[in-house]
Amino acid sequence: MVEKVRPSKQTEAVDRLWQKVRRKHLFPEIPKPRVGQIHGNVAMEMKNKQITLSGDFLDRLGEKMETEEVLEALLDHGVGHHSYCPWDFKTHLTIYAEAKRVVGDKDLAKRAAGCFMDVVVDTNCVKRNETTLPRLYRNMERGLLEEVIFSLYEKIWGIDLGSRGDPKTVRRLSRIPYLDRGRWPESVHRFTRVIKQLLEEEQREQSQEKGKERENMMGGHDLSSFSPEEVDQGLRDFAKEARGLKEFREVVEDFEGELTDLGYGTEGGMGRGRGGLIDADILYYMKLAENYSIPIRKKCLEKRGYMHPHSHSPWEVGKPVQDIDVWTSFGKIMPGITQTWKKHWGKTFGDQESTPDCIILIDSSGSMINPRKNLSYAVLGAACATDAYLRNGARVGAYNFSDAPMGNRIVLDFASEREVIYRVLCKYFGGGTALNLKDLEPLMKGAQNPDIFLITDMKITNLGKIITYLSGIKNRVTAVYIGESNYAHRFTKAMADKGNVSIFNVTRKEDIPKIVLGKIREYFGGTI
Amino acid sequence: MRNPFEEFKDFERRRRDIPLDQIVKSKNVTMARIMEGYEKLLEEEVKELVWLVQYNTVIKAYANAEKSIKGLEFKPEDIEDFCYELDSSDRIPYMITGPAGIYIAALCNHCEEDEVVLKLEDIKTQINLLGYRLPAGKRLLIEGNVGDFAGIGVEGGELIIEGSAKNYAGAGMRSGKLVITKNVGHHTGEWMMGGEIRVGGRIRGLGNIMDGKIYEREQLIYPKDGRYSPRNG
Repeated sequence: MVEKVRPSKQTEAVDRLWQKVRRKHLFPEIPKPRVGQIHGNVAMEMKNKQITLSGDFLDRLGEKMETEEVLEALLDHGVGHHSYCPWDFKTHLTIYAEAKRVVGDKDLAKRAAGCFMDVVVDTNCVKRNETTLPRLYRNMERGLLEEVIFSLYEKIWGIDLGSRGDPKTVRRLSRIPYLDRGRWPESVHRFTRVIKQLLEEEQREQSQEKGKERENMMGGHDLSSFSPEEVDQGLRDFAKEARGLKEFREVVEDFEGELTDLGYGTEGGMGRGRGGLIDADILYYMKLAENYSIPIRKKCLEKRGYMHPHSHSPWEVGKPVQDIDVWTSFGKIMPGITQTWKKHWGKTFGDQESTPDCIILIDSSGSMINPRKNLSYAVLGAACATDAYLRNGARVGAYNFSDAPMGNRIVLDFASEREVIYRVLCKYFGGGTALNLKDLEPLMKGAQNPDIFLITDMKITNLGKIITYLSGIKNRVTAVYIGESNYAHRFTKAMADKGNVSIFNVTRKEDIPKIVLGKIREYFGGTI
Repeated sequence: MRNPFEEFKDFERRRRDIPLDQIVKSKNVTMARIMEGYEKLLEEEVKELVWLVQYNTVIKAYANAEKSIKGLEFKPEDIEDFCYELDSSDRIPYMITGPAGIYIAALCNHCEEDEVVLKLEDIKTQINLLGYRLPAGKRLLIEGNVGDFAGIGVEGGELIIEGSAKNYAGAGMRSGKLVITKNVGHHTGEWMMGGEIRVGGRIRGLGNIMDGKIYEREQLIYPKDGRYSPRNG
């Protein structure tokens, strides 16, 4: 029997092994693992890149094999998750979402995704490195699912692990290209489909033995292993690649507890902050908008000037001599010959350019898409505009309208908190479409020459009044219309000669980055 | 200054060939050949312009399918993968469920293994004509719902469908067994000449039956005076 290594010896063994493992995995940037007590009957956990190996697990396995071998296997596995699969947060979510699509249950999907990631990591390790993982698995306890997974390992690694999984299931599983990263979504889909019955059986067993939760023996795969920045980036990427709002919402809601533990809520400028409840829909638009950066033209808000020589006038006795132009006076001081400079007050728009505040007018009438059901280009466009203004240090006011005269409207005073603005943008009334211009007055007075961003399908009942209103103001107006309609043509035609109004059409997501906020057609033409 | 890549200087990457590489490689080769065979069959069948399930059309398509897969070695899992490939691949822009079903039937009938299990629960398209001419000694188990003409012309084999089938299930069956665990549509057993059909759920209507036995929820409903008659199918 192998001598039981005490915790201090286990730590010493980690110290000895760490450099070797790091080298095998191409020097990943993670801190040195620790040995300690962890919750549950699992081998290790990883929180914010820190791997903690279970002392109890090491003791248990240490009775069957050399502790250093156990340690090396666990480190290979743990580091493999960091350096190969899932690698980043988006991949983790994508793998989970695919598994969920097959089993439709949160717990089963998490278990399936975890198993898949383990198979990928272990197989990669066996293929590319010298590892003691097969020896570890040969000595590990196994449940229903592990029996099949270990048989799969036997088949795809060609190493005997002494397992007895169902050969038909194993044959199906062995055909999946685990090491082809580009095919992971498709692979996890197939993997989950094959083990679906086993997962359900395991869940049934679990519910019979109440309180006995079936855990992944090597450790869970939760979000705590990612840093908050990785979570930010991952959500951004996942919002872009998810199959619509519904899938994003579903996945975020499934991970709500873990995201809240990470301090992630919609409260706070970048999505992380005080930890309020996560509104997945708002988070979706927030993260998606972060992928689209739309430019904004700054404008000069300050007029500066000074006296400059403009023209000549004859010098007369009693006039100041310092304004005399010696060149045109031929060096003589003589009334009638000597010329003085006549000065004018000059105006110039210098380098004091900045971004004005913006009022976002968003149409949420029945002809618009409900942003909480499907991806709304209007909300996404408005969200991008909000981001652009806030990023440039300006404030944003919002006016969400449907049939405003009937009360279906929200007016938000100028604010800088992103989620407050997004909450207004995501509100959907779904009624008729009329804008009450009186509602805009306090907003227009609340800032110095604010920009106006209007996003609508232009099917507005009082479109004529809006055209008249916009024609009469000097503010920069960016009007975005969704889809095509006669109303949009009427608006475009009416605004054709207005230099301060720029119009964009959005028919697909890709049109949004083409919008230029505050773009004016006659920039130097005195309309500023 | 220390070279930041110093540690990589004598780094050597070891790669071991594992059986997975070979399994995936041979699977890809087989799948490519099965796809090629299907495309060949489609080339022949598109000449029909409108593909109707008629006696001659089906026989001719099956003969073409057999020709396309001649010399191919494959496993039941390859057939299952092909079904999913048909369902989701962009490679084949059209899936004509008639020829597809005939082709899958030919693959099942020529598979070396006597038992073929196809787990098609997640497939979006309900494939027609599955189990066509299933010979004696073969057992085909399909998990999931299937389309029209399931088990058409079964020739002694055993077709088990763990799901529902649409119309004309077991049409022209000669001998063998067709088990459908859920429901079937109209014209069940049309021109059936032998064998038995067992339906676990409900039968919407029987066809003109020549011979054979049909059970609905363990009750023999043909041959027997019951609520169905050949005329009401």
